Amino acid sequence: MHKDPHSPANSSDESKIKLLPLRPASQVMQLERLGSFHQSRLSFMRTLVRRMVAENWQINSPIFDLDDQGYGTVVYEVEAKYGTFSYVLFSHYLDSENRNDRVIANQWDLTMALCEGAVDAEQLEFLRANVPKQEAGRVDSRVLVLSRANRSARTFEYVVDKLAQGHQPDVDVIAEVGYLYRTTAAYGSGKLGMADWEKVRTKHRDFARPFAAEMFTCYMLRHFSMQQADYLAAQRGPETAVTLHQDIKRYLGIGNSTGLGMAPFLINHPLLINQWIEMRETALATAVVASEVGVDKATMARLDMATERVIQHLGEIITADERQKNSNVVVREELQALHLWLQEQAAELAITHYVWADLIQYAEQHWHIETQEVINTMLIELYPDLVDGLEEQMGSEESQQVTPEMSVSDLLAIIEDKYDWALAIDFSKHESMGAFWYRSQEKMEPRLGQTNIDMGMEKEMPLAVGRRVRECYDLLQHYNKTCPEQNVAHFIMQCPNYSGIVARIQTMAQSRYGDIRENLVHSDVLPIYLLRCKLSFFGVSKFDPRSRLWVRNTMFQGAPLISDFGSANADDWQFPVKPVIRPL
Amino acid sequence: MKVSKNELMAALKKAFEGLGFQPGDYYDAADMVVWLETHGFDGFDRLQAVLTYLNTTGPVHADLVQEDEHHSMLDGKGTSILLCGSEAVDLISSQVMKGSWAALELTNCYNRTFILQRIVKAARRNLAFIAYWRQSDYCVKVSIAPGAELPEYQTFTMTGEFDSQSLRIFSGTDMAVIERQFAKELEFGVFLETYSTEEMQACYSDSLERGIEIDEALWHTLDELVARILVESTDSSRDGAGGS
Repeated sequence: MHKDPHSPANSSDESKIKLLPLRPASQVMQLERLGSFHQSRLSFMRTLVRRMVAENWQINSPIFDLDDQGYGTVVYEVEAKYGTFSYVLFSHYLDSENRNDRVIANQWDLTMALCEGAVDAEQLEFLRANVPKQEAGRVDSRVLVLSRANRSARTFEYVVDKLAQGHQPDVDVIAEVGYLYRTTAAYGSGKLGMADWEKVRTKHRDFARPFAAEMFTCYMLRHFSMQQADYLAAQRGPETAVTLHQDIKRYLGIGNSTGLGMAPFLINHPLLINQWIEMRETALATAVVASEVGVDKATMARLDMATERVIQHLGEIITADERQKNSNVVVREELQALHLWLQEQAAELAITHYVWADLIQYAEQHWHIETQEVINTMLIELYPDLVDGLEEQMGSEESQQVTPEMSVSDLLAIIEDKYDWALAIDFSKHESMGAFWYRSQEKMEPRLGQTNIDMGMEKEMPLAVGRRVRECYDLLQHYNKTCPEQNVAHFIMQCPNYSGIVARIQTMAQSRYGDIRENLVHSDVLPIYLLRCKLSFFGVSKFDPRSRLWVRNTMFQGAPLISDFGSANADDWQFPVKPVIRPL
Repeated sequence: MKVSKNELMAALKKAFEGLGFQPGDYYDAADMVVWLETHGFDGFDRLQAVLTYLNTTGPVHADLVQEDEHHSMLDGKGTSILLCGSEAVDLISSQVMKGSWAALELTNCYNRTFILQRIVKAARRNLAFIAYWRQSDYCVKVSIAPGAELPEYQTFTMTGEFDSQSLRIFSGTDMAVIERQFAKELEFGVFLETYSTEEMQACYSDSLERGIEIDEALWHTLDELVARILVESTDSSRDGAGGS
């Protein structure tokens, strides 16, 4: 039988993926576009929640030892499909003056650890001695994730007081913040003596996807935050207290502030980022192919409903950032046009071949880049049966390797083809090298400095991939003129300091999407796009940029509660909106 | 104290960067130390033995002094395999890709056991390797078949003339090609002992499961080297990090 060249990629079949109409790297790998991505079905929070709900993970708390102020120790025991885990949490008194979300802080309201297996008394004491210290402590390979969180000054006391008085909190107040606690870090992957990612991936199938254990830690923080609020309300008003309404609980997420610390990850893990993007693009292409012979009415109606929800969601975001504020307004207006289009032309669209390709093309030609990416993520959402299998392919072997036998002229040709964006940058201009990245003495925090103004240029982190490619290209050209018959091994013997960038170029050239196409040392670089890209793959929502260097956002807002595990239809929480609360 | 493999890799990369290594070199060097330590080849002891040298001289690479279609000779100039091992394995690999087999001699180099990790990585490209060198009064031979995960490690009594700081590497598209082409060069003395792949695998599995034991003094030394690449924090630099 003749094989359909557009057959959807709902399996690991590489050949199918290659035949899908994937968007080109020249379009996708532009930093502004990466910085316009939103949560999708493949985002790590979404896949984690789907797994927990479908597998009906059992979570109970053998130790819930809080005093009347909410301070103390809680241990949750988690029975996942393949293993048992313990989520250990310490709640501490913290003077509000010491509440700091920066990585350089050294005290927090809550500190937590996710551990393999059950935790005995001896291990609990070990954790109590180390977990509250975070980076200043040491844990061991039984610990998968270490994390901490701070209370929201705006919502926590308000919610507890309302509940204690027998009232539900005002949803509008909740909506302004969106959470009771903010996480300020979730460390995994072997930091501070914890289990290596390789151990997690090979031993613990429940968390064998990138960042699954870290996301679970934040999910459990959300659960605790609501449980603690209910507990404190009962303590304060034993006669009057009510528990938080289930719909408000679902609407509560976990706050997050992400600064530059996340940015180098995207540059230092190019193969992993390529994989995430390739899977997301494969999902989008799969949605396009699914519309080959039109779209049924139910699918059209789901897109229309999703559009209305995004319009409301964006309208409920509160941000002081002018660029984001304007963007949200424009996206809402353009989605309103999409809404009308879907309503007025539904019958015609239903029989239009590749209607989603037409929509994507129209959006690219007429609408804001954020609107384009919102539409893309909504299209992916329409086809869970076709795209969800891709979630198992979000990992990647990350080794970069020199191909020494390659001729120098072939390497030059690769650079001209795959790194044309880097060769197009004029590095003789001051602004092209107007910034540099470095690690601070304070907890090795990555920071961005201004060239010739800030100290530390000589200790620059090697994140300027484009500049390094340019330097390598110039040397290769010279070498090729003098030694035209030689290969890459000979070039590296001659210029050993360039072996790293040669390995990167040759390795990334074999990937579909390659490196992020941006000069990261330009004076006007916007690192916030890097942060947003990674956060979109985590699955956060409600981006609230606070500068070009950091962004506030919300995790798990709208997600199912633990009490929803095992129930059907618990996966519909993209772009959460304010609940309408009716009296119980 | 115990550290994880990822944590160790991160610390070593930064420590080597602090010693002046460039990105390609510090990735490779960290890989070599971690691989040896996690497979039972005393990576930390070998690292400690070379740190003073690296701290004194800065990065030195080997020079290519002679080459024909199937043979090459490099002068290590007294440097460590941590710095010249990759170049050597890349060079011989490129010759095999062109002509099925090749031999390379690297003279005047140190820490030759680190070459293990480089040939293990290169064997993934379906190349076979045999390497040997003199270690005090015996000879160490390591070999790996194309695509194999782990090498064979054996020691033999010395035979014939053997420069005390040289390393010889032979490579081919398969092991039979190497043994056929270099039968004379691959004659060894009396077999002494071996370190089995099962032992290597068990050591690695234990490192992953329980972490890697490291002497606190060495960890502190690495910290000091890492400190060289850190920039003093000021009020203005804190503004360059974002955050509330």
